[in-house]
Amino acid sequence: MKAAMTAVIEASGLRKSYGATRAVDSVSFEIQPGRIVGLIGPNGAGKTTLFKAILGLTDFEGDLRVLGRDPRSERNELMRDVCFIADVAVLPRWLRVSQALDFVAGVHPRFERSRATEFLRKTDIRMSARVRELSKGMVTQLHLALILANDARLLVLDEPTLGLDLLFRRQFYDTLLNDYFDKERTIVLTTHQVEEIENLLTDVIFVNRGRIVLDTPVDALPGRYVQLTVSAERAVQARQLKPFYEREVFGRVAMFFEGGDPQGLAAFAASGGELRTPTVADLFVAKMEGSLA
Amino acid sequence: MSTPETNLSSAGAPMVDSPSVSGVARAAPLLGTLIMLVRRELWEHRALWLGPLAISALLVACAFAVHIGPVELSEHAGSDVQRRALFGLVQWGLTVPQYIVMLIILNFYLLDCLYAERKDRSILFWKSLPVSDATTVASKLLVAVVVVPLGVYLLAMVTNLLFSAIWLARASYGLLAPNASVWDTVVFLKVEALMLVGLFVSMLWYAPLAAYFLMISAWARRAVFLWAVLPPVIAILVEHLAFRTQYVAGLIEYRTTGIWQRTNMEQAANSAIAAGKHQIVSLAAFFDALNIREFLLNIDVWLGLAVALGFAFVAVRLRRYRDDT
Repeated sequence: MKAAMTAVIEASGLRKSYGATRAVDSVSFEIQPGRIVGLIGPNGAGKTTLFKAILGLTDFEGDLRVLGRDPRSERNELMRDVCFIADVAVLPRWLRVSQALDFVAGVHPRFERSRATEFLRKTDIRMSARVRELSKGMVTQLHLALILANDARLLVLDEPTLGLDLLFRRQFYDTLLNDYFDKERTIVLTTHQVEEIENLLTDVIFVNRGRIVLDTPVDALPGRYVQLTVSAERAVQARQLKPFYEREVFGRVAMFFEGGDPQGLAAFAASGGELRTPTVADLFVAKMEGSLA
Repeated sequence: MSTPETNLSSAGAPMVDSPSVSGVARAAPLLGTLIMLVRRELWEHRALWLGPLAISALLVACAFAVHIGPVELSEHAGSDVQRRALFGLVQWGLTVPQYIVMLIILNFYLLDCLYAERKDRSILFWKSLPVSDATTVASKLLVAVVVVPLGVYLLAMVTNLLFSAIWLARASYGLLAPNASVWDTVVFLKVEALMLVGLFVSMLWYAPLAAYFLMISAWARRAVFLWAVLPPVIAILVEHLAFRTQYVAGLIEYRTTGIWQRTNMEQAANSAIAAGKHQIVSLAAFFDALNIREFLLNIDVWLGLAVALGFAFVAVRLRRYRDDT
């Protein structure tokens, strides 16, 4: 009971079907406070359904607790402590910046207006501007300002930087890390630009076809996964160590091992092979393609 | 929700720690939330107040432009009684364009308000805030059934006063026929009261219609207007073809214009005509003869409200799991 209370999100046997398609198929996972969790999967893997379930935006079967609450029946209470950005395009276009602040201040018990205005002062956003007059990047900044001032315990981001240029994307995540995140708060996010955020994640959950393929802290990856790059000639030999996925890179072969035989791998490393922990992005591709084979 | 502990921590001196650490946040007060939601509707749907304001501006402009000579008046409004009746009638007539425009705008508003937020995908933003679907739907119904009608009523009253003031001023400068500019405070108050009662009666009577539009607005994925109009039209046609009866059409007619039979309006109108010496209807007499009690005791009024609640409930349920998809 005590342990169950500490998890920010706790899902077990989560299921959701759209007609015959199983968007989420018996998914179970736990997310602890103070983590930044990347929910990563190809299009149609069920990420969005998972998000909607967590945010109480869709019905589902199974058991799900977010901050100890059931998002289906306690959605309003939940939204006091949870913030989310579903997409960049989601702020109403007719809304003025000042109205956005007025509104959130009026309905959100945690909103600290001064924090939002302080953040907005650092941007080019005018208080009198309407959302439709702002660039995509500025809309995201505005949304971020609203969220930072909300002081939520859980922040859920679904492709928050979609369509933004590199500078805005970098700035977005920097702000999240510096101005929002601490050991009490939790961030769950999806993005297609895995490479850009993998240094920021503490945990990854890979989803494919409605199921969880991998659920691990990022710092546990080095002991668990190994990427060996060898020349094409030596690949036949290395294959005997049973990689779960391999691909060719500039004439050499990158092989991915789970667990694996440390001595055997070290022998290849000593003889011209390159041994390292795969990046989250590479591991993702390996896991997805590997599971297809 | 408000345990003694949370009350203590929120009532105490400002804390150094951020409130997030101390646990669950309390709800914003419902009234404050509702007021904010109503303001939000007026931000988004500016026609709700721009339309009536524009009509008022037009009417005030008319007060300057309209010219009435002594000859035209003397024929119909020779006596003092008739001039007072005419005064009341003008006062009422000036509000007619106001209410017609309001009705059109409100119909479009009701059909649009739960549809637009899905169309522009902003529903996910609204839903990221701790505001329940019930409060949201209630705020929209409140805007359409109470806030805007009362606002238009007050605006129409101010417009009336302005109009009268301009006419009186013009008459005192000899720019209008002197008998064209009557002022009668009792008539004025009675006509205003009559219209307020009419407004109140309409709010109750038309609430189910408003809630129906709102429900369609929450339900339709496109072509909201068509979805709102088609079901009753098809029902009427099917009934006519299958049974050669007209119950549905009768019901719709009753729920749109039947209101005035429920308030002994016919009787009241007759006595008003009599008081106007069979020439000009005296709205003040109309008000005197009005029986609001009979209307409020009519079961159909309350059945209608129950149906309105049902429609609103469905709208809330629909919005619960509806998003941009």
